[in-house]
Amino acid sequence: MNEQSMALWSAELLATAKARFAALGADLAQAPLDARHALDSVQASLMTGAGVRAGTYVAILLFVGVAVEWLYWMYAYSPLRATMAMPARSPREALRIGLRRFLFSVAGLLLFTAATIGVSAAFAWPPHVHGVVIAATLLLLVLRLSWIGVSVVLAPDRPRLRLVPVAQPQARWLAAAVMAALALLAFGRFLPPVLEDGAQAGHAASALRLASYTLAALILFVGAFAFFGRARAEGAKPPLFPRSFPLALLVVAVYAVWLMHDRAAAVAAIVALVIALQLGLHRMVYFYWGEDDGALPAIVLSLARFVVALAGIGAAAVALDTPVATLAENVGPWVRVGLRLLGVAVLALLAHGVWIAVRSVVDHRLARIGPVDPHEPPDASSRLLTLLPLLRVTTAVLLLVLLVLSSLWALGIEITPLLAGAGVLGIALGFGAQALVRDIIAGIFYLADDAFRVGEYIEGAGNTKGTVERITLRSVALRHHNGPLYFVPYGALGSVRNTSRDWVIDKFNLPLPIDVESEKIRKMIKKIGDDMKEDAVIGPMMLEPLKGKLYRIDPGVKIFRCKFRSPPGKQFDVRANALKRIEAALRQMGVQFADGRQTVLLQNPG
Amino acid sequence: MGGSKTIRAVRLASGLVLITFVICHLANLAIGMRSLAELEAWRATLTRPWTTGAGEWLLATAATIHLSLGLYAVAARRSLTLSGTDVAQLTLGLLTPPLLIAHVIALATANRVSPGFADNYGQILAVYWSFAPAYAFLQLFVVVVVWLHGAIGLYSWLVLQPIWRRIGGFVLPVLFALPILALLGFASAGQEVLDKLANDAAWRQMILDNVGKIAKVTRELAGLQSGLLQAYALLVLLAFAIFGVRVLRARLRPVALAYDGGQQAQGRYGLSILEISLLNDVPHAHVCSGRGRCGTCRVHVDAGAEALSPVGDLERATLERVGAAPGERLACQAHVRGAGVSVTRLLPAFADATAAQAPGEWMARPAARESA
Repeated sequence: MNEQSMALWSAELLATAKARFAALGADLAQAPLDARHALDSVQASLMTGAGVRAGTYVAILLFVGVAVEWLYWMYAYSPLRATMAMPARSPREALRIGLRRFLFSVAGLLLFTAATIGVSAAFAWPPHVHGVVIAATLLLLVLRLSWIGVSVVLAPDRPRLRLVPVAQPQARWLAAAVMAALALLAFGRFLPPVLEDGAQAGHAASALRLASYTLAALILFVGAFAFFGRARAEGAKPPLFPRSFPLALLVVAVYAVWLMHDRAAAVAAIVALVIALQLGLHRMVYFYWGEDDGALPAIVLSLARFVVALAGIGAAAVALDTPVATLAENVGPWVRVGLRLLGVAVLALLAHGVWIAVRSVVDHRLARIGPVDPHEPPDASSRLLTLLPLLRVTTAVLLLVLLVLSSLWALGIEITPLLAGAGVLGIALGFGAQALVRDIIAGIFYLADDAFRVGEYIEGAGNTKGTVERITLRSVALRHHNGPLYFVPYGALGSVRNTSRDWVIDKFNLPLPIDVESEKIRKMIKKIGDDMKEDAVIGPMMLEPLKGKLYRIDPGVKIFRCKFRSPPGKQFDVRANALKRIEAALRQMGVQFADGRQTVLLQNPG
Repeated sequence: MGGSKTIRAVRLASGLVLITFVICHLANLAIGMRSLAELEAWRATLTRPWTTGAGEWLLATAATIHLSLGLYAVAARRSLTLSGTDVAQLTLGLLTPPLLIAHVIALATANRVSPGFADNYGQILAVYWSFAPAYAFLQLFVVVVVWLHGAIGLYSWLVLQPIWRRIGGFVLPVLFALPILALLGFASAGQEVLDKLANDAAWRQMILDNVGKIAKVTRELAGLQSGLLQAYALLVLLAFAIFGVRVLRARLRPVALAYDGGQQAQGRYGLSILEISLLNDVPHAHVCSGRGRCGTCRVHVDAGAEALSPVGDLERATLERVGAAPGERLACQAHVRGAGVSVTRLLPAFADATAAQAPGEWMARPAARESA
């Protein structure tokens, strides 16, 4: 858009606004007279037999509605009271209680409305009256719905059940202000059409609309400063930008749009509501879920943002009277493309929701397990540590594929040939990818068998050994104790020798001179074993104490064999410690290790 | 709303008399669905007894007593702890007399000016449907107001009785079918009258003459009517003023109350335990809204029994009926007049009318104190 057309557009807009202002002024000037005429005509038409008949029918409708709702409350009142008596220990519990309260009350209200409107169809109304009755019922519905909403969310008399962090005296005023604004908006929405259709009082209708909307905007504007202007006084927290300004700005903007263009106002109001909700959503969600709930608030927040945006789009469509159901058939190509993009957006929302849910559950579990120390014995959590990232990646790929395919379908692109082509290509690839498939399937079974986990020391076929560092879909990475990293495809892993499970037995020999007393040595080793079991450091590393016995007698040397049982990976420390103690004990006993020297006795000739 | 057994019984009796009259009146109207002639025929049985002799006297007495006791109940209140039904009941009740004054005066005048005129449904309907539709709207409004008031009163009395289990399914539909049928009868008879007016010129002229006569007198009686209205408004204002003074005076004397589960509440001198519960959003069962009828609000007084108002005859009767143990009180009748009162609620907050119909069933339930 260049400068000139911009200027032109602005001028046009201003001209429209000016014309509308003039019309509003004229409406205001003529409203009193118009209203008096309307009143007269209404009175004239009411004060006849037909009017009395209509009045009788209205009374009957009232009885029907009250009877139906009465019947409903006979059954629903007790559960509602039970719900409200539930203890609300946290905001989230209050939210759950509030939701139930809302549903209970709304069900009664809907029954009332449905019964009233349904029965009203059975009567032969005088002209125009049926529309008025339905409008009045809807007005009642909106007013009562607003009241239910306000009393559930703000709970003016029940601080226990309040769903927003508002103090007691403020809550009452806030409830009153919100209720007044909503009521005025409802009056402005429902009464003027009745005046226009029923009494041909267009000017009065317009004036009524202007008055109620202006008053509502005024209440909201003042309310924004009165209730949201005190965000700064929160102890030592850094001062935040007061929320009152953007809120008041939104109110003014919507009101200005309405002044200039009637139809656009509904959309502007919806946009403003969406913006206001998006601004406050973070605070709201964290009010209910808190930081210690892990990833949950993030999911709720992102879902809530999407839902608010989509609900806004839906509401805007309704406000513009866009017939959604029949839209696809009789509109231009661009709107169709837009609708399809909307479909894709919904799909993306669904995929996004599932993805965030899976990811946050996985991340949450992973964070709770914490990093695995390779020197610690692996436990059940390391298996999760193995499987969870795999699950995450698999879900991501699967979701992405599904999303792409269904988005293409939603956009109207035929995906059957794509799928068929993928099938043919799949066969071709399949032959080539045999080894790959074998690896993946073998890997699944290794994981299912729980053959190894991250952090365990294993030996596979082909002299591959090391600590499991990483497990992927196709291969396992083993860190050899000397440093090199093996990448072993599952297909080539073969039988696995896992040396990190449960326990190991370590044995070592002790060559001593031939003349030592075996029983003494055995007792000495047993005592060392008992001492080690008592030791604070070494003790826990031993599952069975050290024992030793005479194992073999060679020429000049007695060989004692010692043995102990320990958790996997600990045997080296234990053995070193045992040898150290044995050496010290032998020195104390005055026994030396067999020195390996052979004594050769020479026959002395002379 | 403290009250003695006698007052309660008198109010109930007067209410029953009034609603019986309304039922007869509406039933008579409902017959209008068949034909205007039958409507007239049934009048002798259904409505006439109430407008002559003893019936008229009974009706007037009942209405006066019911109205006075209603205003007394307003004046005797100590707090604004009203349920939604209570508010509806009170508002509808207060609306009834001014709405009915015009109806009663008009009929009385009509009877005096042209005897026999008001005894004919066809003629009255002709006035309503053709000559003075404003009265018709007033009457429709009265029907809605009176009937809802009566239905709420009748229902909240009947639902506490053990017999409700057997008759409830039958009474409730009737409670709403009757006014609907009556209004349908009104509409159908009205149509018939309109047709007759269009076809029968003599009848039309006769009614016109009578209406002219009555209208003249009615204008003179407007002063009487507005005087009555003003007197009534004064009475209502007086009742509310007494209520306001009581609330304000009690406001100066706060008392504390302790509940089971360590809950604390602040109230004012003279409020009942139940009112303090409701003011502090403490869950507390109260099926009959503090009228001392249902017994669901009863508490066990753990400490400070001497700081409570003494047991009245109404409370004693209800406590006996529900089989209360010693040391138990009705929270709606026990007024707190000092510190150190500590109570245990005996029924869960969601107790409903069945707890009054069959008290034994509810006391056995272990969940009774879960809602603390």
